[in-house]
Amino acid sequence: MAKKKSDAKNLNSNLKRLSEIAEWFDNQEEIDVEEGLNKVNEAVGLIKASKERLKAVENEFEEIKKEMDS
Amino acid sequence: MEQDEKKLEPIFSVSEYIEFLNINLRKIGTAKITGEVTKLTISSNGHVYFFIKDKSGKGVLDCIIWKNNYALCGVRLEEGKEVILSGYPDVYPLSGRFSFKVNTIELKGEGALKKAYEELKNKLENEGIFDRARKKKIPMFPERIGVITSKQGAVIHDFLNNIGKYGFKIQMIDSRVEGQEAIKDLLSAIRTFKKKNIDVLVVIRGGGSLESLQPFNNEALIREIVDFPVPIIAGIGHDKDAPLFTLAADASESTPTAVANLLNESWAQALLFLERYERDIIGRYEMILSGYKEIENKLKISFNNFKNALTANRANLHGSLDKSLSGFKSLLAMVGQKIEQAEKVVFFNNPERQLRLGYSIASCDGKIVRETKDAKIGKNIYIKVTDGKIISEVKNINKD
Repeated sequence: MAKKKSDAKNLNSNLKRLSEIAEWFDNQEEIDVEEGLNKVNEAVGLIKASKERLKAVENEFEEIKKEMDS
Repeated sequence: MEQDEKKLEPIFSVSEYIEFLNINLRKIGTAKITGEVTKLTISSNGHVYFFIKDKSGKGVLDCIIWKNNYALCGVRLEEGKEVILSGYPDVYPLSGRFSFKVNTIELKGEGALKKAYEELKNKLENEGIFDRARKKKIPMFPERIGVITSKQGAVIHDFLNNIGKYGFKIQMIDSRVEGQEAIKDLLSAIRTFKKKNIDVLVVIRGGGSLESLQPFNNEALIREIVDFPVPIIAGIGHDKDAPLFTLAADASESTPTAVANLLNESWAQALLFLERYERDIIGRYEMILSGYKEIENKLKISFNNFKNALTANRANLHGSLDKSLSGFKSLLAMVGQKIEQAEKVVFFNNPERQLRLGYSIASCDGKIVRETKDAKIGKNIYIKVTDGKIISEVKNINKD
């Protein structure tokens, strides 16, 4: 089974993709409305998922013991 | 062990007695002794033998520090140097020699500490250990945080109270953070975290004097973090001389709260980034759509105008057609009248009508006979009547 990407990796790749989409819009002199709509839909999904992850999530705290040097 | 039968007192062998002594000496526990180093010898296997004496010369103690402890303490012994030793008394069974077994050594006095600090700082600086280029970048969105600190005191609470609720997985190892004894704890904790799956290691403690922060100026400890697999953030309060550990760490903050804020930073920024992208991408698309809306509205207006124009043209066409049709009708009526008149003229002037009235048409040699000269005596005259022809010969011509 493929290993689930960590939240940090997801968030990082989401922001990277959003930056690419924003750049795409910046670089188009004439926007292809159809393609633009696809990109907007993708961006909305990424923003929603990322905001979901940034909602308050309780931290986990654990005290561990030093391991003796072998 | 034998027993004196009369007094029931134990009689030890020498080794037994030394063992007995050592067991009881251990009960005293560790002690700290200050004095001046004399008769220093470093053996070929790295163990260090020396004496420590009072300045007054009234007391001298035989001391030994094993190679590993000597390397770890970070203090270079020299004869005449004033030090504070931490250790315990011990009798060596093979020689009966009493000595003070040293666990760790500290330099005594602000001046000596400062001098050692500057020397080590220069040495590590020359090796490039503090270079910015070799420092690891604090990762975006760290999740698994290793924390080394003492669980006593407010430091860990300050840290936990200020770290954001971003689902951090925090593992903490309790360690002494003050005094030379802390070095072993810190080293062991760092080595343990080296094997753990963490994104960043945090080492925090409250502020203190140069003396109390000595463990964080320890060479062995600093060298241990240089090749640590993930970034280390130091949160060690200090006044003017930054502990060398903080200079070697990948990032340094002055308080545990500031370290917590540093870890929160990328998570908090992500929200701002998302809002910006939302504005940029969706806003931009809406703007484009509103442009299209404008075009659509203009097109609608144009279509309406065109429709109106078509309706007007159709109305004009109907009018013209009506006009054309009525003109055509009167033309037809006029033509009909003319034809009627012509019919009448033709009717009245039809020669056959004249024939039926009793007139006849005479012709000679193919020509109509209108005058006497048109006929010749002896020629045949063809007389056309209503129902046929009569041929007669000209006998006589009488001109009136």
